[in-house]
Amino acid sequence: MSEKNYLKRVFQAYYKEKREEIPIITKLEKREFGFIPWDKEIMNRHICFKFTEDLKQYLINESPKHVYSSGASYLQPDNLDMDKKGYQGCDLIIDIDVDHFYTPCKDVHDTWYCKECGKTGKGIVKKCTKCNSIKTKSLSWICEDCLKIAKNEVFKLINNFLVPDFGIKDKEIKIAFSGHRGYHLKIENKKIRTLLSEERREIADYLTGENISFEILGLRQDRSNILGLLKENIGWSQKIIKKIEEILTTYTNQEIELLLLRYGLNRNIVKSFINSKRDFQQIISNSKQNIWNLEGFGIKTWEKFLFGIVDDIGAEIDGPVTIDIHRLIRYPGSLHGKTGFKTQEINHDELDDFNPLNENNERLDPIVFKSKENIHKLQIIEHDVPETRIKGKKYGPYKKGDIIEVPHHIAVFLLCREVAKLS
Amino acid sequence: MSNIFDLVKRYPWLPSLKKYSYIDSKDDPYEYLLELFSKYPNGEIQERVFKFFRAAFENIEYLSGHKNDDLNIYLYLILRILLYILDNKPISNRIANLYSKITNNELLKEADATVYEICQDLNLKIKYYQPPINYGINISKDQKQILETNFRIHYADYLKLAANLRDEYRKLVNNALSEGYVFIQKRSLIRLIQEYVRRKFLNNEDDEGKSSNKFKKNLLKIQEFKEIYDNILSHWELKKEEFEYNFEISFKKGSNISKDFPPCIKDILLKAEEGQNLTHIERLFITFFLNALDYPEDEIINVFSTMPDFDKKKTEYQINFAKRKGYIPHSCATLKSLNLCMAVKYNDQICLEGYFSKKLDTKKTLAHPLFYIQLKQYRGSKKIKKLED
Ligand code: SF4
Ligand SMILES: [Zn+2]
Ligand SMILES: [Zn+2]
Repeated sequence: MSEKNYLKRVFQAYYKEKREEIPIITKLEKREFGFIPWDKEIMNRHICFKFTEDLKQYLINESPKHVYSSGASYLQPDNLDMDKKGYQGCDLIIDIDVDHFYTPCKDVHDTWYCKECGKTGKGIVKKCTKCNSIKTKSLSWICEDCLKIAKNEVFKLINNFLVPDFGIKDKEIKIAFSGHRGYHLKIENKKIRTLLSEERREIADYLTGENISFEILGLRQDRSNILGLLKENIGWSQKIIKKIEEILTTYTNQEIELLLLRYGLNRNIVKSFINSKRDFQQIISNSKQNIWNLEGFGIKTWEKFLFGIVDDIGAEIDGPVTIDIHRLIRYPGSLHGKTGFKTQEINHDELDDFNPLNENNERLDPIVFKSKENIHKLQIIEHDVPETRIKGKKYGPYKKGDIIEVPHHIAVFLLCREVAKLS
Repeated sequence: MSNIFDLVKRYPWLPSLKKYSYIDSKDDPYEYLLELFSKYPNGEIQERVFKFFRAAFENIEYLSGHKNDDLNIYLYLILRILLYILDNKPISNRIANLYSKITNNELLKEADATVYEICQDLNLKIKYYQPPINYGINISKDQKQILETNFRIHYADYLKLAANLRDEYRKLVNNALSEGYVFIQKRSLIRLIQEYVRRKFLNNEDDEGKSSNKFKKNLLKIQEFKEIYDNILSHWELKKEEFEYNFEISFKKGSNISKDFPPCIKDILLKAEEGQNLTHIERLFITFFLNALDYPEDEIINVFSTMPDFDKKKTEYQINFAKRKGYIPHSCATLKSLNLCMAVKYNDQICLEGYFSKKLDTKKTLAHPLFYIQLKQYRGSKKIKKLED
């Protein structure tokens, strides 16, 4: 049996068994559904289900590789013509996925190899470091640390932006582990549903700090002085000053140095900053003045510094997802065809303890195919397969040709990742 | 508190208008108009409508002698009916701009409480504070000034009105937002209401043109109304040449329209890029041209920023001035007489030989640099279609 057929059967058995537990989203009959089958990487979209039982039966019959539904609701979700679907509004969707931002551990667990010369390496490259060919294949791997960072971004988003600034209520926020490398947030709120793309772009910019204007926030040259931002000013000014205060009071000099170098400031300027640390702290904690005259700092340098700060404050969201009102997102409770993990909904108060790769609470566990014993024999077909830590156990790293014996959930995972075949 | 009816007289676009049994745009206003013209047999209505259109066509910013009487309500309704029937984007834009600007001026004279009342009637989610609340401070030239306002507006309502204004100051990220509300100065709030009013005049466009035909025929049976309509149309014919360049092609963020620029523009842009000074007339031309394409202000400023005598404030002022006045870029004939036509230098086929007009079934010479872009974009879109086929 081919791997794909095998996985399809595994998924099928799951949907059959868990029929009653498959979550039902709001306005189900008005959502557009999309599915990617196992045999070709093409999305069948414009599908709709009048009744929840129809959806469940579809999952059991077809057991697709990926299952998606729209954030939008439509009068005719199955109309092929977008303009004739009868758009009725869209929830606000926010996607946090480590695929879209840097995490330090990627240098360890993400690998690539060159199809041209066969060179392999770690981290993310645009082209082969040996022969410069762009025909490289990269393999990004799942990792607890990455997922912790992603989870932190979710907290940042909710606690620093959505709740305090946008006044969004906890019960309006639906959080889901994507089943792979990130989280989705869905905000269901009447007023938000009416917002158009352009308006959502403004929200995305606010959440990330993109397109911020320091000049408007108050940064400017006034004769020989540079005027900076003020803590009293509600909004991003306040966020920025608080972050700077945090850096000045809790970071060691060495940490500050690393940070500012990362922001792109040169060594002399970094030195000057550290030397005037105390003075600067005085200045920004004093609401009566905003003269930011530090040696070596002109407007351009301050901007660079502030852009770095803003980048650290802003949430790492995938902007286009938030802006696109017709986007389909992974259906909660469905299985992710690249991992075999379940897209798992989590409440805000459960998120802190949630650990997708080693979850103790059975109800929240995305890893649904489990076995204690090594019940599968597989052969590795990918050059370098990084180590995987799942359920507190290490598997790998593996080399091409390795014959391995692993438990059910690891077998499903490796087969879904297409790095192994049934042996 | 003002009487709502009083408010409606001043601001007929308020939703409360309905409460006073004035016509709804969905009803057939035939009977209603008949009655109206007989109520004002001395041409007061015509006079006011003409005055309005004339001002809009001449790009006048403000209408002196604006009156808040009953007729003000009728003016509003008739303007909307006319725009619906005329079904002409540039005219609608002109009227919408003028009307909303007048509204802005009027609103600035209102008390805070009245502005709040208006917002409520518009169903905007607003918080009104008396006394005003603080949201920050501003220090300039050693002067400390407390930032305070009487108003906060829900961010969703804010975005709906502000997101299209393409103004850095109005970007959400640059504003004070907390608990779901944006702190907003009265002046800025009124600017948003202006945008609401402007759109009110443009909404007609969504309707299907077919149903309006019968509607139109019917209304034009009314002698007075037909007079107004005809008069406006002929006035429009005269003005049309200038208007036509003002729409259709426009700057879109991320798209590269500059590859379709005509030689005369390319040449000036190149000079600017190289840091050469431009002559006064070159500056005007490029400003009008980019304004006509609806280029964002900062992009235009960017063009000038490389020049030796660049002055940001001055440039901003000039761009805005040109925009306000609605200046139209020079035609090819004018540019030729000014020695600014670069057709020969660039050996440009379109400029030198013209194009074949399918509509007129004849070869036409290029009359205006804006047509150049239209033509290029049209051809470009054809090419893309072919590739897709
Ligand atoms: S013909 Fe007109 S568009 Fe072409 S280069 Fe000359 S002035 Fe510019
Ligand atoms: Zn190589
Ligand atoms: Zn990692």
